[in-house]
Parts: sequence; structure tokens; C-alpha cells
Amino acid sequence: MKTVRRIRYFFRQRQMERELAEEIEFHRRISGQPREMGNITQAREDARAVWIWPWLQSVWQDVGYAIRNLRRQPGFTLMALLALGTAIGLNTSLVTVFNAVALRPWPVKDPSRTVRIFTRSPQPTNGVYGLTGVSIAEFRYLAEHTRALSGIVSLAQRRVYFGFEPFGKGSTAILVGADHFRVLGADLLIGRGFLPEEDRPAAPEAVMVLNYGVWRDHFGSDPAILGKRIPVNDVPFTVVGVSAETLTLNGGREDVWIPLSANQLLFPNDPSQRDWLSSPRACCEPIGGRLAPGVTRDRARAELEVLSSQFRSAQGAQGSAIFVLTDPKILAGDPEASPIMRIFGAMFVGVTLIVLLACANVGNLLVARAAARQREIEVRRAIGAGRARIVRQLLTESLVLALGAAGIGVLIAFRFPAFALARLTDDEVPSFPLTPDATVLAYVIGLALFACLCFGLAPALHGTHPRPMRSRLKLRSWLLASQVALSVILLTGAGLMLEGVRRAAHRDLGFTIDGVRVTNLELPASALNQTVIRSFAANLQSELLGVTGSDHFALTVRAPLENNWSTSYRLPQETREQLKRIDNQQVSPGYFETLGIPLVSGRDFGPGDAGRPVIVVNETVARHWEHNDAVGKTLVVAGTPREIIGVAKNTYAERLDQIGPVLYQPLTGWDSPKVILRSGTQETASKVEDVARRILPGTRVQTVPLSTYVDRRLGASRAGAQIAGLLGVFALALATVGMFGVFAYAVQQRTKEIGIRMALGARPAQVVGAVIASSSRAIAAGLVVGFMAALVGSRLIAQYLYGVSPLDPRTYLLVAAILASAALAASYLPSHRAAKIDPLTALRHE
Amino acid sequence: MGTAPEILPGTLDLLILRTLGGGTKHGYGIAQHLKLVSEDVLQVGESSLYPALQRLLLNGWVKAEWGASENNRRARYYTLTTAGRKQLTRERQEFDRMIGAIHKVFESA
Repeated sequence: MKTVRRIRYFFRQRQMERELAEEIEFHRRISGQPREMGNITQAREDARAVWIWPWLQSVWQDVGYAIRNLRRQPGFTLMALLALGTAIGLNTSLVTVFNAVALRPWPVKDPSRTVRIFTRSPQPTNGVYGLTGVSIAEFRYLAEHTRALSGIVSLAQRRVYFGFEPFGKGSTAILVGADHFRVLGADLLIGRGFLPEEDRPAAPEAVMVLNYGVWRDHFGSDPAILGKRIPVNDVPFTVVGVSAETLTLNGGREDVWIPLSANQLLFPNDPSQRDWLSSPRACCEPIGGRLAPGVTRDRARAELEVLSSQFRSAQGAQGSAIFVLTDPKILAGDPEASPIMRIFGAMFVGVTLIVLLACANVGNLLVARAAARQREIEVRRAIGAGRARIVRQLLTESLVLALGAAGIGVLIAFRFPAFALARLTDDEVPSFPLTPDATVLAYVIGLALFACLCFGLAPALHGTHPRPMRSRLKLRSWLLASQVALSVILLTGAGLMLEGVRRAAHRDLGFTIDGVRVTNLELPASALNQTVIRSFAANLQSELLGVTGSDHFALTVRAPLENNWSTSYRLPQETREQLKRIDNQQVSPGYFETLGIPLVSGRDFGPGDAGRPVIVVNETVARHWEHNDAVGKTLVVAGTPREIIGVAKNTYAERLDQIGPVLYQPLTGWDSPKVILRSGTQETASKVEDVARRILPGTRVQTVPLSTYVDRRLGASRAGAQIAGLLGVFALALATVGMFGVFAYAVQQRTKEIGIRMALGARPAQVVGAVIASSSRAIAAGLVVGFMAALVGSRLIAQYLYGVSPLDPRTYLLVAAILASAALAASYLPSHRAAKIDPLTALRHE
Repeated sequence: MGTAPEILPGTLDLLILRTLGGGTKHGYGIAQHLKLVSEDVLQVGESSLYPALQRLLLNGWVKAEWGASENNRRARYYTLTTAGRKQLTRERQEFDRMIGAIHKVFESA
């Protein structure tokens, strides 16, 4: 009640103080003594202080007392801070990453009014509606006519080259409308954004705005850069501005902004780029926008749909698009978002278990400490402290501990996410900020409070209970059982993942890796168009025949396991609702032979197949037809019918975890080719490089072994399994310390009993056995519960196990063995002490 | 602090509760009542009266309401709550016990 009144005072403080002032004023007047004893301000201060001061003082006292107490036991404090701090640090690191990719809004003014705008596919693929964008022509129309949005921005990307990029990287240009920075609400450090006359398709201007990071790293933060002409794709572009900070909207890189119309200057030889700018049938680019004041997302969406159907009917097209407006978060609209969310979910369960485990551990230590502090607590009760007051004191101690651990956790969360992510993605540090922000700090404080209650409340209540002896042992058993269960879950998860990676690394992937080299080519961007790439590929193909001799080679657009491209397919008789995803690879004749992939039926591509609608499929796709007679049948791929000319054996060349449907098609000429070569000598590889450079001068080359891509793919999984293993080992260490504590406590509690038994002739081994057995029940219970939870939970990670069953018995046996040995190790010292108990001394115990 | 003789520590709250036991009063009224009844011995200043009243409010022993005073001014009137009545009884007994004890000590000398 008192607390409620205090809180109410807090909220109505100003009114309360006004009333008090008026009251004293009234008193002074009626008493007729303008300066009655004492100072009025002083009186008001004193009266006000009644509400807050004593409470604040007692809290301060408690905190001071808690800190003194914790410092008096440096061993306990250090252990608790380490366990809790690490656990909170791991948990917070994950939340930091999650926050960065899924919660943090765009770094612009008033981000809550910004939206990402997608159009939704009318049919689902594999049950999921794909989200795409709109053509640039439609974007222009929408941007011009919208009223519900105060502006729409294009987020279309192009890979461009300044010339300073490392091989194979390129820079990312965002092609934008003239009002891009105004609509977004993003500041420029120097210079200006684009002018309307700089974005006219008829008269494109070669101007650009540099991102802050690029300006700093590659142009030495040169303030005189404005007006300078810098070649992009060998075309000089004038710098008109530099962004105020490193601006990245969706987690990808954004190195430079260029007006949409200037796209044709970047790719002067590619007529398709001109179509892209004006054709309503050009493919879909991501866009975003800012809602006009007072307009809801729903209203904006309705308006966009009306505008879109106006635009489409003017173009003679049927129907209108379904629009989807989402929060401008990194993961929004990403087709990979839901699997990523599942990974986050599984990992969050893991790190939360770790926090609970650390709580159980610290809780156990606190129970042991409460036993030692029994006397102190009794003294405090004797001099009149109520139980609630003592519990409050003990909880304050826990809170101080938890907040200290939260501090350590935040420090970890500043460093660990970037480190772990760099290992997991085998890439440079991600371009989006990966440090805790206010949201994360609020989370940590919440987590600390939660942890404090978790580990502090039960021991505090028990410690102050009038007759706590028996129940204390029971509480410790509960805590121990949950510790064991939690570490079983974590170790099993980690074990399964490590086993999965181990098996994947030793699995026959179904294609040749040894001795295969991949020559990556970076063609000069300004020279490119579909015809150039096609003729380059054709020339390369024919000239390589002359230098490779008997070595097999082929062209493709991506090495096996380099990355995945997918499209959709259906059988001709199926409806659009039955679309399924399929991995899509472009290859030249000889691809299957070079990689040693046998053709089950049909034939390989021939020189005459280029540009024809023919495909080779893998066995998984061929299973749609009985008796292996897929050859000659038709498959509808991305809306176009294609004839199957061959069936290739299933391989793991697309994905390591499973074999899905795969189709191979001839090179399209849209993407730069690379050469795969099965050859024993480096000499042949350098000849291949020379040929490529000769056919198209300005081409950059880099040859790597094919195993690089396999290792890279496995590396990410391996790092994932290692992180899980790290969690498991940390959990095991905590559980072992916990078991040790309980055994030691049991021996200490029963010293007298053990002495009596030994005096009556029991052998030490028997006695020790009895003591350990009684405490082992909790461990056994923990094992059982842990394994049951692991059996259920491991299904969550089944898809990251590379085919290892979530019920893999070897892993479970191994985990059981590890925990049993940990328990044995933990019991060694206490049982040794029990066996050495001298009956006479023991009887005098206490 | 003040120039007036200090009231025995801790007894002011009890005295206020007792005064309010006789009916609702405003702050000045309480001070006047104490002065009158004690024949000018107990002179309570604002600097101790109002903190004491706030303390009683915080503990929920009195409640305060604004009303019109005798000369039609706005004044805050204090009333004893049920909890306050109980507290008065409890403190009264404790006080009597203490005074009795002190008395005995003096008698024995």
C-alpha cells in the first residue's frame, strides 16, 4: 500500500507540491505571522522529502551493503559474474544481430513513416508468395501520380567498377530518382542531391553522390572532390555530393548513387539497359517510399493498386498487381527471411537455455552461500528485520550481481557478433552496424532483471525460511536437475550438428573435386551486352579446345556450391498454383564430363543447342515420369516450355544438405561465364587465362581450385557447429561445477552420519556410494528430461544436419557418456573427502 | 533548528493523530489546537508540522481533502483513517508504557 501511494505521488508530484505550497501559504496568512519560525522553502523541502528520501536511502544502503558483501567473497562473485556475464553476452550478441537485421529501421529522418513496397505474385511457389518490385517505367508512373506517399524511391542496384575493387567484388551503385535523398530524409555531408534535369532519359547526366564510407576509404575524405570527374565503368562521372554517414538501407552495400537515366551511360554498349529504363515489361526492381502525413499503409496500398492498374491498362496489359507495404527492415521481403527466422529461433532457444543454465548455477551457489549466512540472517531477524526486508536485501545483492553481469554481457555484444558473423559468412564484415543500440540495452536490462529473479528469488525465500534445512537440499536438487537437462539439450544439438558437418565433409558429393580448377573472369563492364558475352563465350569455347589438349573443360556461370540460383517450374498439365522451386545452372557442352557427372539417359548439350529451349534435368526431376523416360518430355520453366534432352545423375553440386530438383540450361549470355578445367597442371590453367584476356582485352582473371567453394560452403556450417559446440562446452562446465557443489554439500551435511556408519564398520566405498547415489537421482532425472527435450528439439535443426537423423543414437550415447564422466569427475573430490572422514572427529562435528 | 522548545522526538505524529481523533482539522487548526490545549507549551512550526502530515499521508493514517475555511479560504482538511485510528491506539499504549517505565526509573532513584 505504501509503495502504491509512493508511486502515485511520483506521478502527481507537481500537483502535490503545488497543494503543499498553497497549504503552507494559507497557514502563514491565517496565523498572521509572515515570517513564522523557520524558512518556508525549508519546510516545503522537508515535507516533500518524506515521500522519496527514506526509500531512496534504504535502497542505497542495500546496494552499498550488497557490494561490500560481494567484495568480501571474491571467488563467488567472480564465478557468478563470469558465468552470468558470458551467458548474457552470448544471448545479447544474438539479439544484437537480430536487432540489426530484423528490427532496426532505415537510418533516415522519421523512419517510422518509411515503407518498402513490393508486388506480390498471384500464385504461390512451394506455398510461398514471392515478393518482387515493379518495372522502372511503372515506378516513374507511380512516383509521379501518388498522393498517399510523399515520395517513392527506387532501390535498383547495378554492379559497377571504379577500378579500386578487389577481384570479383565490384561496387554497388543504386540507381535513383532525382528526389531520392529528399524523400528518404537522408542528409548529405557536402554537395547536393540530384536535380530533376539530371534524370532525363533523353539527356542523361553523368553525375553521382558518393557514400561516406567510399569517400573516406578510397578518396581520402577529400573535401575538394565536388565537381571532380571520376571514371565509373570507364565513363567519367562528376561527384555532386557525399552522404553524411555511411548510408545503407537493406544491409547490402551502397557505394554510390547515380540517376536512373545515367544507367545507359554506364552500359553504353548494352541496348537492353535502355529497354530496362522505359519498357513496362522490364523486370521488377525493389522500391520504397515515405507515407504522406496522416496516411495509413492500407490507404497508400489501395492507391498504389489503383495507379498500377491505370498504368497497366494504358500499356495494354491485363490485371493489376497486388501491393504489399512492409516495415523497411533488412529482412522484409527477403524470400530467405523465414528460414533465417527459424535459425534465429533455434539459436535464441540455445542462448536462452544458456542464460537459464547460468542462473541455475548461480542460484545453486547462492543456496550454498545462504547456508553459510544463516547466522547473519538470524541476527538480522533478531534485531527486528522482517522477512520481506531480508528478502529484499538478498534480492538487491542478486540485482547488483545481475547488472554487473549485464555490463560484461554488453561488452561482449560489442565485439562478438561481428567476429562470429565474419566467420559464418566467410565475407568481409557486414556493412550494417552490428553493435547494441538502445533497443538492445533495454533488452539487456530486462534480461538482467529476469535473471535476477530466476537465480535470486528462490534462494532468498529459502534462505529466510524459518526451517530451511531439508527443503534447501531439495531446491538444490531441482536446480541441479535442470542444469543437467539444459546441458544435455545443448550438447546434443551441438553434437548432432558437428556429426552432420563431419559426414558432409566425407560424403561423396557425386562430382569430381580433386584437380578441378575454376577460372573466374571479370569482363570489362562498359563493353558488355548479351551479344558480346555470347560471342565471348563461343570464342572462348572454341579457342580453349586448342590449348587444353586432352583435358576436359566447360563454361558455366557459377561454380558448383558457389551459390544458388533458382527459378520455378511445373509440368505442362499442372496449374500455376503447383509451381515448385528448382535450382538453375547454365552450362556449356562438356560440363558433365568435366565434373564426372554421369548422364543417366539422353545426351549432353551440343554446339547447336545454344539459345534453344532445351534443358538437362537431374534424377529428382526425372522422377515425375515413370521408367526413366523423361527425355523428350516438356517442362515449363519460368513460364516457358523447355524440352528435356538428358537426365544427369543426382549430385550435391547445388546444396550440401539435400538434393532438390535441378535443371541445366545452355549459357544465356546474360551473365559472364567462368571456366572449369579438369587438369593436372597449372600451366594449362594459365593458358586458359591468357586466352580469355586475349579475346576480350581488359578482362581480369583469377583461378582457384574447385575445393575452395566446397570448403567455403562447409566452413559456414562448421563455424555454426563450432559455436553450438562452444555453447555446449560452456553449459557442460557450468553443470559440472553445479554437480560438484551439490556433492560437496551432501558430504558436508552428512559428515556425522558417515562417521557413525564407518564406526559401525561400513567400508568407505559403501558410504561414498550411498552419498553419491542419493544426489545422483537429480542427475539421472536431469538426463532423462534433457534427452526427451533434445529428441523433440532436435527436429528444429534437422535441416542443418546434412542428413544425419535428429535421433542419431551415437550422438545421444556420446552425450550420455560425457555427462556421466563429468558427474564422476565432479564427485571425485567430495567422495575422497568422505572416505577420509575419521569417525571420532565426525562424531564431534558441529 | 527552531527557537521553540522541541517536542519529544516521535511524539508529534502521535499528537497530531490524537488531535484529529477529535474531528477533521486543517494544518493551522491542528497547530492552534496543540498550542491551546497544552497552554502554550507545544508550539509547532510549519517546518515540523507539514513534514509530519506528509509522513502520515504516506503511511495512510490520515487523508486530506480541500474545503473552505471559516473565513472562506481554500484550506486542506485532514481526517483520521481507520488505519490511523488503529495506529493511534497502538502508539498510545506504547507511549503510556514508555512514560510509565520512565516514571518508575525516576521514582526508584
